[in-house]
Amino acid sequence: MERRSFLAAAGATVATSLTGCSGIGTTGETSTESGRRTLVVGTYSPFIDAPSSSPGAWLKEQFESEFDARLVWQTPSNELNHYIERRKAGVDVEADLYVGLNADDLVRVDETLDESLFADAGDLNGQSDVKDGLSFDPEGRAVPFDTGYVSLVFDGTSTTAPETFDGLLTEDHAGDLITQNPSSSDTGRAFMLHTVKQFGADGYLDYWADLQANDVRVLGSWDDSYSAWSEGEAPIVTSYSTDRVYADRYDQNLEKHRIRFLNDQGYANPEGMAVFEGANEPDLAREFMQFLLRPEVQGEIAVRNVAFPATTNADLPSDYAKFALEPPEPVTFTYDELQGSVGEWVKDWSQQFAQN
Amino acid sequence: MTDADEGTDSGREAGEEQVRARLERHALPVLAAGTVALLLGIFYYPVATVFVDSVVVEGRATLSVFVGILTDPFYVGDLAGLAAGESPLSVLGDLLSPDRRLGVVGFTAYQAALSSVASVVLGLPAAYLLARYEFPGRRTLRSLTILPFVLPSIMVAVGFVATFGQNGTLNAVLGTLGLGEVDLLFTLEAVIIAHAFYNAPLVARVTTAAWESVDASAVETARSLGASPRRAFLDVVAPQLYPSVLMGAALTFVFTFGTFPIVLALGGFQLATVEVFVYQLIRDFEYAEAAALAIVELVVSLGLLYAYLRYEARHSVRSRGIRPLPRRPLRPPSRSLGDLLPRAGLAVYGVVALAVFVAPIASMVYASVSGPDGLTLAHYEFLVRRQATAAAFQVTPWDAVRNSLLFGVGSLLLALPMGVVVAVLTTREYRGRKLVDAVGMAPLAVSSIVVGIGLLRGLVFGVEIGGTRLAIGGALAIVAAHAVSGYPFVVRTVAPGLEGMDQSLVESARALGAPRARVISDVELPLVWPAVVAGAAFAFAISVGEFSATVVLATGTDQFTMPVAIERFIGRRLGPATAMGVVLLVVTAGSFVVIDRLGGADGGF
Repeated sequence: MERRSFLAAAGATVATSLTGCSGIGTTGETSTESGRRTLVVGTYSPFIDAPSSSPGAWLKEQFESEFDARLVWQTPSNELNHYIERRKAGVDVEADLYVGLNADDLVRVDETLDESLFADAGDLNGQSDVKDGLSFDPEGRAVPFDTGYVSLVFDGTSTTAPETFDGLLTEDHAGDLITQNPSSSDTGRAFMLHTVKQFGADGYLDYWADLQANDVRVLGSWDDSYSAWSEGEAPIVTSYSTDRVYADRYDQNLEKHRIRFLNDQGYANPEGMAVFEGANEPDLAREFMQFLLRPEVQGEIAVRNVAFPATTNADLPSDYAKFALEPPEPVTFTYDELQGSVGEWVKDWSQQFAQN
Repeated sequence: MTDADEGTDSGREAGEEQVRARLERHALPVLAAGTVALLLGIFYYPVATVFVDSVVVEGRATLSVFVGILTDPFYVGDLAGLAAGESPLSVLGDLLSPDRRLGVVGFTAYQAALSSVASVVLGLPAAYLLARYEFPGRRTLRSLTILPFVLPSIMVAVGFVATFGQNGTLNAVLGTLGLGEVDLLFTLEAVIIAHAFYNAPLVARVTTAAWESVDASAVETARSLGASPRRAFLDVVAPQLYPSVLMGAALTFVFTFGTFPIVLALGGFQLATVEVFVYQLIRDFEYAEAAALAIVELVVSLGLLYAYLRYEARHSVRSRGIRPLPRRPLRPPSRSLGDLLPRAGLAVYGVVALAVFVAPIASMVYASVSGPDGLTLAHYEFLVRRQATAAAFQVTPWDAVRNSLLFGVGSLLLALPMGVVVAVLTTREYRGRKLVDAVGMAPLAVSSIVVGIGLLRGLVFGVEIGGTRLAIGGALAIVAAHAVSGYPFVVRTVAPGLEGMDQSLVESARALGAPRARVISDVELPLVWPAVVAGAAFAFAISVGEFSATVVLATGTDQFTMPVAIERFIGRRLGPATAMGVVLLVVTAGSFVVIDRLGGADGGF
């Protein structure tokens, strides 16, 4: 869930395990030795390569052994934008599906491109098990496979985080919060959207003016802010509600990793998958999506990606809920609410916050 | 051996001689053509594919996007009044008033100017120490000055938080001394110190090279004519240093004008710079405004470089420097004030340098060996385990090290001839040559985000020729892109020396029949050799530290470099990434020492 589009500021491409796929043209390796089919899956790099754990390798192994197919991961450095860029330039999209897009990504896709980047998901086994409220694509292209909840994480040995948004404005919490740039960080964006949810499109900027006056810090990326928070630069940081899973895994003091859902709400950030229009292997891609929705695979993804399953019937370790906390009330914006608005919200926020 | 054999041998020798002569005659034009072709293909064309979006919107040529930016107070602050028809005087009044608005562009220039001043202030004493004093480890220290240049910003941020943060080393030391606390994060000051961390070494490095090229006999002549040491310094030495100091300052301005991650990591979004908004606009596919903003950024940077280049051309240094100034021992030879005072000043500087340069790096090293239960090697074990068990699509430490070194050496070998050729061509006498020079510096000044997108569109996506799509990527393209980024340093370090070259040397060599290329390699370059080596070290450093072009052009995980590995290893704990950061430090430190020793850049030619 630690997506880092920020660091990979520019450009894109592509860590595929295809050898020599550049030079001339495309990946093109749809049929390989002994007629095994190849499925090319685009995703963000922590999904397949993180210092702690990531689902990529396990998924590849399981899928290949069951489906007699080859799975190739592709991790362009600017993630989904890479494929939007390709489609815009009229160049073949070389992947069959993308794993890891959320509602505002989809809004950006649709606002940028005239034709569709993604195809209809169709009827998938397991899709009916997806939790209510997580499906974010009204046109049925993207199907959620996991979700995270953005919350505050605080160091209980030095402060107790407030229970409400207004609590963050008190003098007690002056300079206490580090959050992230909404335009480059998923957590920062979720937190900003949560304030829009709370105060409305007319009120969130006023709230932010007060927050800024109370010395909130908005850093560039989740990495920057989490490491500054870990060093004790400020006691509260915007992060994920699964934070204690890591703290437990690394034997850290759990009191220093406490979760706060402001107003008992957590901003849900469901991650979806969708088949590219014009994919070489659309059927295999849909089989992969169904595979990802299976209860046992849902559980593995959640554990390895340190997130929550998208389905109601996932096989999770019985003690998973001990450290991975779900908010009493998940909130989020739908695709329709974001469309035509989210860009303006972020832009207005930036122009107010960086006034020089 | 028969006579006949001998005849063929000498005939062959004569033939080889002819070939070599022809090669030498054509070497310069061929190299120049190659350089231009590479720059066009790997830089200007890709960048143009993005810039064109600023003036062609929906198929129509327009300047409205620029007008929009230049009249928006958010971007240009009170200067927007000019476009709105206010008189320049009233705009000036606004800018001088306490509630002035600089706008994002103005603020970016402001922090860049402060960063340049800080870099000069922190860089000059280092140059003085390295050029004028002798002490054990001096050459190694000089080689290592360039080290900060290669550190990824995320590592610098980690080091700075650990050093200058609330619970950082600095506050611990100040607390022990009973001096209270400083709260440097997250402020403009922290950003400027971080910029100086990156760029003071640049100032130091180029100034040291210039200082070492000062000819001792000129100083001795001045002294023998009765000039005091101070007079001799001001009249003879200083004028030879100004161009280098100003060059360091100008380059610092250009780099920090394009600053991006570090400003958000150590300052925060309230200090957002132009580049932050270029990134934001590109992310949202608002290419017209992004490109226009990047062009505004480029014009400011190149304008400043152009002004510097005009200055450099007018103040070229006449170097016939064969014999550098003798170094003094660092240990004071006597207790006279004249011996003690400068050394005491250097001691004070040493303390500051420890805090600014050494402490952040030491903090990073410390983070790589600390865990929840004290010191540990677990993070290095992680690297070893990664090497052994990583899947093919995951980055491995050794591959990253190997690639960084290969790309670094490759781009050094490519950047050197490119830089020398451009330096030679832009130090010839013709109208507009400084303009050409400034345009040649563009790789330093164009938004790296725009370059990344340009490489993607221009090279990786390729062009369709007769039904086949010709795309460029992979290791060679990465080396070329790195060389393009690094070659301006070679130009900048070599050109001042060539500019000031005693033309009679060149002319007499030419009169004796030496081809131009021969004159360059046998006469001119040896005279500016420290500058050539300094440029080579920078080219290498740029390559090792490069991130965005690498990830755009790489066609597989097996082409990733150390900075990419560091980025991949960042997580909730700092250990794995900092351990990789230390690997990067050690590998590049070793490389710089080797480059300097191989280059013999100690006047030892």
